[in-house]
Amino acid sequence: MKKVLFVLFTLLIVSSMLLSACGPSAEPTTAPPAETQEPSEEPVATQPPAAPEEKTVVIGFTSSLTGSQEVSSKRQVNGFLLWMNQVNEAGGITLSDGTVVKFDYKTYDDESNGERVQELYTRLISEDNADFLISPYSSGLTSAASIVAEQNGKVLITTGAADDATYKTGNTSLFQLYTPGSLYMSSTVDMLQQLDPEAKVALVYESDKFSTSVVEGIKPYLADKGFEVTLEEGYASGTTDFGPIVNKLAASGATVLLGGGHYEDGTALARTLYERQIGLKFVYLLVAPADTKFPELGDAALGIATSSQWELKATHTEEEAANLGIEWFGPTGEDFAAAYQAAYGDPPTYHVAGGYAAGLVLQKAILDADSVDPEAVKAALNAMNLMTFYGGIQFDTSEAAHGLQIAHKMVVAQWQKNDAGELVRVIIAPADVATNDPLYPVPTP
Amino acid sequence: MKSWQKHLGLVLPLLVVAGVVLWPIITDNVSARESAFTILKAIALASSLNILLGYTGYVSFGHIVFYGFGGYVGLYFVNDHGWSIWAGMLAGGIASGILAFLLGKAILRLRGAYFALATIGINEAMKAFANNFDLFGGPIGMVLNFSVYKAYGGAAEALKMTFYIMAGLTFAALLISHFVRSSKFGLGLLAIRENEDAAEVMGVIAPNAKTWAYVLSAIIPGMVGVLFFFKNGHVEPPVAFPLHSSIELLVMVMLGGQGTVLGPILGAFAYQGMRGYLVTSDFFKDIQLSVSGVVLLLIVLFIPAGAIGWLRHRIPVLRRVLA
Repeated sequence: MKKVLFVLFTLLIVSSMLLSACGPSAEPTTAPPAETQEPSEEPVATQPPAAPEEKTVVIGFTSSLTGSQEVSSKRQVNGFLLWMNQVNEAGGITLSDGTVVKFDYKTYDDESNGERVQELYTRLISEDNADFLISPYSSGLTSAASIVAEQNGKVLITTGAADDATYKTGNTSLFQLYTPGSLYMSSTVDMLQQLDPEAKVALVYESDKFSTSVVEGIKPYLADKGFEVTLEEGYASGTTDFGPIVNKLAASGATVLLGGGHYEDGTALARTLYERQIGLKFVYLLVAPADTKFPELGDAALGIATSSQWELKATHTEEEAANLGIEWFGPTGEDFAAAYQAAYGDPPTYHVAGGYAAGLVLQKAILDADSVDPEAVKAALNAMNLMTFYGGIQFDTSEAAHGLQIAHKMVVAQWQKNDAGELVRVIIAPADVATNDPLYPVPTP
Repeated sequence: MKSWQKHLGLVLPLLVVAGVVLWPIITDNVSARESAFTILKAIALASSLNILLGYTGYVSFGHIVFYGFGGYVGLYFVNDHGWSIWAGMLAGGIASGILAFLLGKAILRLRGAYFALATIGINEAMKAFANNFDLFGGPIGMVLNFSVYKAYGGAAEALKMTFYIMAGLTFAALLISHFVRSSKFGLGLLAIRENEDAAEVMGVIAPNAKTWAYVLSAIIPGMVGVLFFFKNGHVEPPVAFPLHSSIELLVMVMLGGQGTVLGPILGAFAYQGMRGYLVTSDFFKDIQLSVSGVVLLLIVLFIPAGAIGWLRHRIPVLRRVLA
């Protein structure tokens, strides 16, 4: 009987595995490329001599199909695929010699874990012949990939890798699209200086790589702007009981809180602050308020602000580029958002925009270089000074911090109530893209 | 038993590791070299854990702590003080050995589930320590400057070199594992595994033997940690002390057969080889975690003694070579 049960159990598992393998992909939001081209290095022999040569450029990256970075990473990939499909459907990029460049991609699951990142990027380069690379999601994984890119002379466009230290390694191949972590809160501090230069600031943040580097980056900026920091408190990842920390916060006399970390701790902190009502005039948290689920907190979400790499309501425009005297490239934010909504059924987040922008920037660099030669494309990226719907794109070309993004600015978003009393995320800074005035001080219930 | 017969069990482990090392060299394939590096790293760590788990029967859920701590110490000296990778690895190995000695004196008095729980606590405590220790970069960790690689001929040469060093560490791990098992000291450890009280009655000084086994099992992971973080270019607390890696090491040892020299090697080879294939297979890559989970479940259900235990049980003539 026991043996029969074993065999039945085994058959059940094996058959379910086979079914899942043969069925549709487990990732419903990842669309396949609309058009897949076979790699072709040589001119097509059957074409007449005048026919343009077609070249398929392979872009390699790892993505986190599993693990802690899964959600953001998948969105980033979706954005990239949208760009690739649009370019291929439009007939590719035509270079001055008539060569038509189309794109294909190769990706593996890095499991949100750095252990295999170098192995997989090496495979992408040596086995899959990737011409250009896009980073994994997160700074830690990107650090590991950057060494492989460097040793093979491959361009690595990073999106979702904000930590400054990743670019201060003496690299020559990295090109960052995100605003560096050290500047995440600078727009918020600028806004505070306008609103309340006497504000007393508390820094309460998750003790992890990302949040700590953001806070370490803003401390000198706060000092420079004359703000007094009354409390600096890190908390362990996974903290959900913020009672003792809020006690400290209340005792510190702070009027403004800057900090947070990720979704779970950010929502728990916001909820505790609402329950305790310690008289803070303004609360800024990293990451959590940018999530569409944040208003589930109800009134506890009211007035909570965050930074975003891109928001449709504050999308960058051709007019803005013209005013700044910078070249404009690519679709409008509205066109991008509509195309994404049509392809994937939900509105794009800044992770999606970052993935799309990675492709867009590579496309522009190939056009500028008029070549797919890695060194020519690298030179074009180094010289780039561009405006897209995603924002400004310019890279630090110094040896000390090569590839660090220096033109892209973040916007500050805040949860406010609309006329119908519903919570909506509005843009409150910088002033030139703000859609609403800041809710300051946040009203007490 | 003739002295050469005593070492017959070393032949197969050496051949398996040599095969893994020679695979990328013969094929001259850089991608194969990266895969071989991952497999060799797993073999070195699993063989080291086997000294404690397999020989004394003490289940450690936090063995990765030595990999993380040693790695941090070594990388700190390499990155901040300009030490060579060799000196950094030595420092990492020694630091892990000292940590194991101090921890062993404290927690090896515990047995069974209590010891296992304590090892989980140590892993979390070390992660919290690294998170708050400014010298190690706190939560941000340390990022290696690429200029460090220049001393080794650039990033490409440095990464190639790390493969050969990893090969050396793996051979060292299996030699330590074999010589411990075939020594009088190892016999004492096996006696502790079977019945610790009876072993003490027979003259084995169990606390000392266990502590030295713990120290020996910690040194190679410490050196491997330095090498891996040097190769990966950065270290931060969650990367240095991943609890799931400790569990994966336990799976590798039990998959191959605990208490044998060859078992952890086969377990690590099979586990990492399988994961490496699944993650890059066009057919399986979207369901690779489910597939590897099911395969492990089937193995645990049908051959709980591990591959070597099963073979030794079924084919008695192999017992001498499958040590």
